[in-house]
Amino acid sequence: MNCKTAEKRILRSFDGRLDERSAGLLGKHLEACPSCRKAETEYRSMLALLRDGKGAAPLPLFWERLQPRLREEREAAPFLFWERWNLRAIPAFLAIVFVAGAALVFTPRAGELTASEALLLENTNPITAAEQLFGEEKSDERNMMLLFASLDDKTPARRPTP
Amino acid sequence: MEERQLVRLAQEGSPAAFEELVSKYQSKVFSMALSFTRNREVADDLAQEVFLKAYLALPRFHGKSEFGTWLYRISINHIKDYLRKKGRAKEVSLDDVQEIAFSNKEQTERAEQERETEARRTLVQKFVQGLPEKYRVIVTLRDIQGLAYEQISQVLHLSPGTVDSRLHRARRMLRKKLAPYLLGEGGANEL
Repeated sequence: MNCKTAEKRILRSFDGRLDERSAGLLGKHLEACPSCRKAETEYRSMLALLRDGKGAAPLPLFWERLQPRLREEREAAPFLFWERWNLRAIPAFLAIVFVAGAALVFTPRAGELTASEALLLENTNPITAAEQLFGEEKSDERNMMLLFASLDDKTPARRPTP
Repeated sequence: MEERQLVRLAQEGSPAAFEELVSKYQSKVFSMALSFTRNREVADDLAQEVFLKAYLALPRFHGKSEFGTWLYRISINHIKDYLRKKGRAKEVSLDDVQEIAFSNKEQTERAEQERETEARRTLVQKFVQGLPEKYRVIVTLRDIQGLAYEQISQVLHLSPGTVDSRLHRARRMLRKKLAPYLLGEGGANEL
Protein backbone atom coordinates (compact mmCIF):
# COMPACT_ATOMS: atom_id res chain seq x y z
CA MET A 1 0.00 0.00 0.00
CA ASN A 2 1.38 3.43 -0.87
CA CYS A 3 1.00 6.55 1.30
CA LYS A 4 -1.70 8.08 -0.94
CA THR A 5 -3.96 5.06 -0.52
CA ALA A 6 -3.11 4.95 3.17
CA GLU A 7 -4.25 8.55 3.59
CA LYS A 8 -7.60 7.77 1.94
CA ARG A 9 -8.03 4.77 4.20
CA ILE A 10 -7.10 6.74 7.29
CA LEU A 11 -9.92 9.18 6.54
CA ARG A 12 -12.36 6.39 5.78
CA SER A 13 -11.47 4.69 9.03
CA PHE A 14 -12.55 7.82 10.94
CA ASP A 15 -15.96 7.56 9.29
CA GLY A 16 -16.22 3.86 10.06
CA ARG A 17 -16.17 3.02 6.37
CA LEU A 18 -13.23 0.65 6.24
CA ASP A 19 -13.62 -3.10 5.97
CA GLU A 20 -11.60 -5.45 8.16
CA ARG A 21 -9.12 -6.45 5.48
CA SER A 22 -8.34 -2.85 4.49
CA ALA A 23 -8.06 -1.88 8.15
CA GLY A 24 -5.51 -4.65 8.66
CA LEU A 25 -3.47 -3.52 5.67
CA LEU A 26 -3.62 0.08 6.87
CA GLY A 27 -2.44 -0.96 10.34
CA LYS A 28 0.58 -2.69 8.84
CA HIS A 29 1.37 0.33 6.71
CA LEU A 30 1.11 2.69 9.69
CA GLU A 31 3.50 0.54 11.70
CA ALA A 32 6.09 0.90 9.01
CA CYS A 33 5.47 4.51 7.90
CA PRO A 34 6.13 7.39 10.35
CA SER A 35 4.82 10.09 8.01
CA CYS A 36 1.44 8.34 7.69
CA ARG A 37 1.37 7.85 11.47
CA LYS A 38 1.92 11.58 11.83
CA ALA A 39 -0.82 12.26 9.28
CA GLU A 40 -3.21 9.99 11.19
CA THR A 41 -2.53 11.83 14.47
CA GLU A 42 -3.01 15.19 12.81
CA TYR A 43 -6.25 14.16 11.15
CA ARG A 44 -7.54 12.74 14.43
CA SER A 45 -6.71 15.97 16.24
CA MET A 46 -8.24 18.10 13.49
CA LEU A 47 -11.50 16.14 13.39
CA ALA A 48 -11.78 16.23 17.19
CA LEU A 49 -11.51 20.01 17.09
CA LEU A 50 -14.08 20.24 14.29
CA ARG A 51 -16.55 18.03 16.15
CA ASP A 52 -16.19 20.22 19.21
CA GLY A 53 -18.00 23.00 17.38
CA LYS A 54 -21.23 21.02 17.10
CA GLY A 55 -22.72 21.65 20.52
CA ALA A 56 -23.13 25.42 20.16
CA ALA A 57 -26.45 26.66 21.52
CA PRO A 58 -28.32 29.64 20.06
CA LEU A 59 -28.89 32.82 22.04
CA PRO A 60 -31.35 32.53 24.93
CA LEU A 61 -35.14 32.47 24.40
CA PHE A 62 -34.86 31.26 20.85
CA TRP A 63 -38.46 30.03 20.63
CA GLU A 64 -39.84 33.04 22.50
CA ARG A 65 -38.21 35.33 19.96
CA LEU A 66 -39.31 33.18 17.04
CA GLN A 67 -42.95 32.90 18.11
CA PRO A 68 -44.05 36.51 17.38
CA ARG A 69 -42.40 36.32 13.95
CA LEU A 70 -44.32 33.14 13.19
CA ARG A 71 -47.53 34.80 14.36
CA GLU A 72 -46.88 37.73 12.04
CA GLU A 73 -46.36 35.37 9.12
CA ARG A 74 -49.53 33.48 10.00
CA GLU A 75 -51.49 36.71 10.06
CA ALA A 76 -50.01 37.81 6.75
CA ALA A 77 -50.98 34.50 5.16
CA PRO A 78 -54.16 33.32 6.94
CA PHE A 79 -54.74 30.49 4.45
CA LEU A 80 -51.24 29.10 4.83
CA PHE A 81 -52.33 25.79 6.28
CA TRP A 82 -55.35 25.49 4.01
CA GLU A 83 -53.05 24.48 1.24
CA ARG A 84 -52.77 21.03 2.77
CA TRP A 85 -56.55 20.75 3.14
CA ASN A 86 -57.02 22.07 -0.39
CA LEU A 87 -55.07 19.13 -1.73
CA ARG A 88 -57.30 16.75 0.18
CA ALA A 89 -60.45 18.61 -0.86
CA ILE A 90 -59.72 18.52 -4.60
CA PRO A 91 -60.98 14.93 -5.19
CA ALA A 92 -64.12 15.60 -3.11
CA PHE A 93 -64.77 18.81 -5.00
CA LEU A 94 -64.32 17.06 -8.36
CA ALA A 95 -66.74 14.32 -7.29
CA ILE A 96 -69.38 16.92 -6.35
CA VAL A 97 -68.90 18.72 -9.68
CA PHE A 98 -69.23 15.40 -11.52
CA VAL A 99 -72.45 14.44 -9.74
CA ALA A 100 -73.93 17.90 -10.22
CA GLY A 101 -72.96 17.86 -13.91
CA ALA A 102 -74.51 14.44 -14.41
CA ALA A 103 -77.71 15.58 -12.73
CA LEU A 104 -77.92 18.58 -15.05
CA VAL A 105 -77.27 16.52 -18.19
CA PHE A 106 -79.79 13.80 -17.39
CA THR A 107 -82.58 16.00 -16.03
CA PRO A 108 -84.79 17.39 -18.85
CA ARG A 109 -84.79 21.16 -18.95
CA ALA A 110 -88.03 23.14 -18.93
CA GLY A 111 -87.44 24.31 -22.52
CA GLU A 112 -87.51 20.74 -23.77
CA LEU A 113 -90.92 19.95 -22.33
CA THR A 114 -93.92 19.50 -24.57
CA ALA A 115 -96.84 21.87 -24.12
CA SER A 116 -98.87 19.32 -22.21
CA GLU A 117 -95.86 18.36 -19.98
CA ALA A 118 -95.22 22.02 -19.27
CA LEU A 119 -98.87 22.52 -18.42
CA LEU A 120 -98.76 19.56 -16.08
CA LEU A 121 -95.57 20.85 -14.44
CA GLU A 122 -97.04 24.29 -14.09
CA ASN A 123 -100.04 22.60 -12.50
CA THR A 124 -102.33 24.21 -15.02
CA ASN A 125 -105.43 22.51 -16.13
CA PRO A 126 -104.81 21.31 -19.77
CA ILE A 127 -108.51 21.25 -20.46
CA THR A 128 -108.71 25.02 -19.97
CA ALA A 129 -105.94 25.48 -22.56
CA ALA A 130 -107.72 23.13 -24.95
CA GLU A 131 -110.97 24.97 -24.43
CA GLN A 132 -109.20 28.17 -25.43
CA LEU A 133 -108.08 26.55 -28.66
CA PHE A 134 -111.52 25.23 -29.47
CA GLY A 135 -113.11 28.49 -28.45
CA GLU A 136 -111.30 30.38 -31.17
CA GLU A 137 -113.84 31.94 -33.44
CA LYS A 138 -111.96 32.04 -36.69
CA SER A 139 -111.71 28.56 -38.05
CA ASP A 140 -108.36 29.24 -39.86
CA GLU A 141 -106.71 30.41 -36.70
CA ARG A 142 -108.16 27.57 -34.69
CA ASN A 143 -106.82 25.04 -37.20
CA MET A 144 -103.40 26.64 -37.17
CA MET A 145 -103.28 26.61 -33.36
CA LEU A 146 -104.33 22.99 -33.26
CA LEU A 147 -101.69 22.18 -35.87
CA PHE A 148 -98.91 23.87 -33.81
CA ALA A 149 -100.13 22.30 -30.59
CA SER A 150 -99.86 18.86 -32.20
CA LEU A 151 -96.37 19.70 -33.45
CA ASP A 152 -95.40 20.69 -29.90
CA ASP A 153 -96.10 17.18 -28.73
CA LYS A 154 -93.73 15.67 -31.34
CA THR A 155 -90.78 18.06 -31.31
CA PRO A 156 -88.90 18.97 -28.16
CA ALA A 157 -88.13 22.49 -29.43
CA ARG A 158 -90.88 24.86 -28.55
CA ARG A 159 -92.14 27.24 -31.19
CA PRO A 160 -93.90 30.46 -30.53
CA THR A 161 -97.63 30.20 -30.87
CA PRO A 162 -99.09 32.63 -33.34
CA MET B 1 -44.11 11.73 19.94
CA GLU B 2 -42.57 10.55 16.68
CA GLU B 3 -41.06 13.14 14.40
CA ARG B 4 -43.33 12.18 11.50
CA GLN B 5 -46.37 12.78 13.66
CA LEU B 6 -44.98 16.10 14.89
CA VAL B 7 -44.44 17.20 11.31
CA ARG B 8 -47.99 16.22 10.36
CA LEU B 9 -49.43 18.18 13.29
CA ALA B 10 -47.24 21.18 12.50
CA GLN B 11 -48.47 21.03 8.90
CA GLU B 12 -52.00 21.24 10.20
CA GLY B 13 -51.06 24.43 12.05
CA SER B 14 -50.21 23.19 15.56
CA PRO B 15 -47.78 25.69 17.15
CA ALA B 16 -46.90 23.20 19.92
CA ALA B 17 -45.75 20.61 17.38
CA PHE B 18 -43.68 23.18 15.53
CA GLU B 19 -42.16 24.35 18.83
CA GLU B 20 -41.02 20.80 19.53
CA LEU B 21 -39.42 20.55 16.11
CA VAL B 22 -37.68 23.88 16.67
CA SER B 23 -36.31 22.81 20.04
CA LYS B 24 -35.04 19.58 18.50
CA TYR B 25 -33.20 21.26 15.63
CA GLN B 26 -32.35 24.78 16.87
CA SER B 27 -28.84 23.89 18.05
CA LYS B 28 -28.03 22.04 14.85
CA VAL B 29 -29.22 24.86 12.61
CA PHE B 30 -27.53 27.45 14.81
CA SER B 31 -24.17 25.66 14.95
CA MET B 32 -24.26 25.22 11.18
CA ALA B 33 -24.88 28.94 10.72
CA LEU B 34 -22.18 29.69 13.29
CA SER B 35 -19.61 27.57 11.51
CA PHE B 36 -20.22 29.62 8.36
CA THR B 37 -20.44 33.06 9.90
CA ARG B 38 -18.43 32.78 13.14
CA ASN B 39 -20.68 35.41 14.65
CA ARG B 40 -23.22 34.32 17.25
CA GLU B 41 -25.69 37.16 16.63
CA VAL B 42 -25.67 36.66 12.87
CA ALA B 43 -25.89 32.88 13.28
CA ASP B 44 -28.84 33.31 15.63
CA ASP B 45 -30.60 35.60 13.15
CA LEU B 46 -29.97 33.14 10.34
CA ALA B 47 -31.30 30.25 12.41
CA GLN B 48 -34.49 32.21 13.12
CA GLU B 49 -34.92 32.98 9.44
CA VAL B 50 -34.37 29.32 8.56
CA PHE B 51 -37.19 28.28 10.89
CA LEU B 52 -39.44 31.01 9.48
CA LYS B 53 -38.77 29.75 5.96
CA ALA B 54 -39.39 26.18 7.05
CA TYR B 55 -42.66 27.21 8.71
CA LEU B 56 -43.88 28.88 5.53
CA ALA B 57 -42.79 25.96 3.36
CA LEU B 58 -44.17 23.32 5.73
CA PRO B 59 -47.47 22.79 3.84
CA ARG B 60 -45.41 21.89 0.77
CA PHE B 61 -43.25 19.32 2.59
CA HIS B 62 -44.43 15.93 1.37
CA GLY B 63 -42.19 13.76 3.51
CA LYS B 64 -40.18 12.36 0.60
CA SER B 65 -37.06 12.87 2.71
CA GLU B 66 -36.56 13.10 6.45
CA PHE B 67 -37.63 16.38 8.04
CA GLY B 68 -34.05 16.94 9.25
CA THR B 69 -32.65 16.54 5.75
CA TRP B 70 -35.23 18.95 4.37
CA LEU B 71 -34.41 21.46 7.11
CA TYR B 72 -30.67 21.14 6.48
CA ARG B 73 -31.30 21.86 2.79
CA ILE B 74 -33.22 25.02 3.67
CA SER B 75 -30.45 26.02 6.10
CA ILE B 76 -27.65 25.48 3.60
CA ASN B 77 -29.47 27.43 0.87
CA HIS B 78 -30.34 30.26 3.23
CA ILE B 79 -26.82 30.55 4.61
CA LYS B 80 -25.36 30.44 1.11
CA ASP B 81 -27.75 33.22 0.04
CA TYR B 82 -26.73 35.29 3.04
CA LEU B 83 -23.02 34.84 2.32
CA ARG B 84 -23.54 35.64 -1.34
CA LYS B 85 -25.37 38.85 -0.46
CA LYS B 86 -22.80 39.78 2.14
CA GLY B 87 -19.92 39.09 -0.19
CA ARG B 88 -17.67 36.09 -0.39
CA ALA B 89 -15.95 35.07 2.83
CA LYS B 90 -12.37 36.23 2.80
CA GLU B 91 -9.51 33.76 2.78
CA VAL B 92 -8.06 33.69 6.28
CA SER B 93 -4.44 34.74 6.42
CA LEU B 94 -1.99 33.08 8.76
CA ASP B 95 -1.22 36.46 10.34
CA ASP B 96 -4.84 36.76 11.54
CA VAL B 97 -4.70 33.33 13.05
CA GLN B 98 -1.42 33.77 14.88
CA GLU B 99 -2.75 36.88 16.56
CA ILE B 100 -5.55 34.86 18.12
CA ALA B 101 -3.24 32.02 19.02
CA PHE B 102 -0.87 34.16 21.06
CA SER B 103 0.22 32.33 24.21
CA ASN B 104 -0.02 33.80 27.73
CA LYS B 105 2.77 32.34 29.89
CA GLU B 106 1.38 33.68 33.18
CA GLN B 107 -1.65 31.42 33.21
CA THR B 108 -1.67 28.12 35.00
CA GLU B 109 -0.88 24.98 33.03
CA ARG B 110 -4.48 23.81 32.99
CA ALA B 111 -5.82 27.17 31.88
CA GLU B 112 -3.09 27.25 29.31
CA GLN B 113 -4.15 23.91 27.90
CA GLU B 114 -7.79 25.01 27.74
CA ARG B 115 -6.82 28.22 26.08
CA GLU B 116 -4.70 26.40 23.55
CA THR B 117 -7.52 23.99 22.76
CA GLU B 118 -9.88 26.93 22.31
CA ALA B 119 -7.30 28.70 20.16
CA ARG B 120 -6.94 25.56 18.03
CA ARG B 121 -10.71 25.28 17.73
CA THR B 122 -10.93 28.90 16.61
CA LEU B 123 -8.11 28.30 14.21
CA VAL B 124 -9.82 25.27 12.69
CA GLN B 125 -13.07 27.18 12.33
CA LYS B 126 -11.28 30.06 10.68
CA PHE B 127 -9.61 27.75 8.22
CA VAL B 128 -12.90 25.99 7.49
CA GLN B 129 -14.33 29.39 6.67
CA GLY B 130 -11.44 30.02 4.35
CA LEU B 131 -12.17 26.92 2.27
CA PRO B 132 -13.97 27.26 -1.08
CA GLU B 133 -17.73 27.05 -0.55
CA LYS B 134 -18.28 23.53 -1.88
CA TYR B 135 -15.65 22.12 0.47
CA ARG B 136 -16.73 24.25 3.40
CA VAL B 137 -20.29 22.99 3.13
CA ILE B 138 -19.25 19.37 3.05
CA VAL B 139 -16.82 19.65 5.98
CA THR B 140 -19.47 21.47 7.99
CA LEU B 141 -22.11 18.86 7.32
CA ARG B 142 -19.88 15.85 7.93
CA ASP B 143 -17.23 16.86 10.44
CA ILE B 144 -19.05 19.51 12.45
CA GLN B 145 -22.68 18.43 12.18
CA GLY B 146 -21.92 14.72 11.95
CA LEU B 147 -24.37 13.94 9.16
CA ALA B 148 -24.14 10.54 7.47
CA TYR B 149 -22.86 10.35 3.88
CA GLU B 150 -26.31 9.40 2.57
CA GLN B 151 -27.92 12.36 4.30
CA ILE B 152 -25.29 14.73 2.88
CA SER B 153 -25.98 13.33 -0.60
CA GLN B 154 -29.67 14.10 -0.14
CA VAL B 155 -29.12 17.58 1.30
CA LEU B 156 -26.69 18.64 -1.42
CA HIS B 157 -28.15 16.57 -4.26
CA LEU B 158 -24.76 14.97 -4.87
CA SER B 159 -23.82 11.35 -5.48
CA PRO B 160 -22.18 9.54 -2.54
CA GLY B 161 -19.01 9.26 -4.65
CA THR B 162 -18.85 13.04 -5.08
CA VAL B 163 -19.45 13.54 -1.37
CA ASP B 164 -16.60 11.13 -0.63
CA SER B 165 -14.11 12.75 -2.99
CA ARG B 166 -15.00 16.33 -1.97
CA LEU B 167 -14.74 15.48 1.69
CA HIS B 168 -11.39 13.83 1.16
CA ARG B 169 -10.08 16.87 -0.71
CA ALA B 170 -11.49 19.29 1.87
CA ARG B 171 -9.87 17.44 4.77
CA ARG B 172 -6.55 17.32 2.97
CA MET B 173 -6.71 21.07 2.31
CA LEU B 174 -7.54 21.73 5.94
CA ARG B 175 -4.80 19.50 7.26
CA LYS B 176 -2.26 21.12 4.96
CA LYS B 177 -3.11 24.53 6.40
CA LEU B 178 -3.42 23.33 9.98
CA ALA B 179 -0.48 20.92 10.14
CA PRO B 180 1.87 23.33 11.96
CA TYR B 181 -0.73 23.87 14.72
CA LEU B 182 -2.03 20.35 15.21
CA LEU B 183 -0.93 17.67 17.62
CA GLY B 184 1.69 15.71 15.76
CA GLU B 185 3.80 12.81 16.92
CA GLY B 186 5.70 13.82 20.03
CA GLY B 187 3.12 16.22 21.45
CA ALA B 188 1.47 19.53 20.60
CA ASN B 189 3.13 21.92 18.26
CA GLU B 190 3.60 25.47 19.45
CA LEU B 191 0.70 27.77 18.80
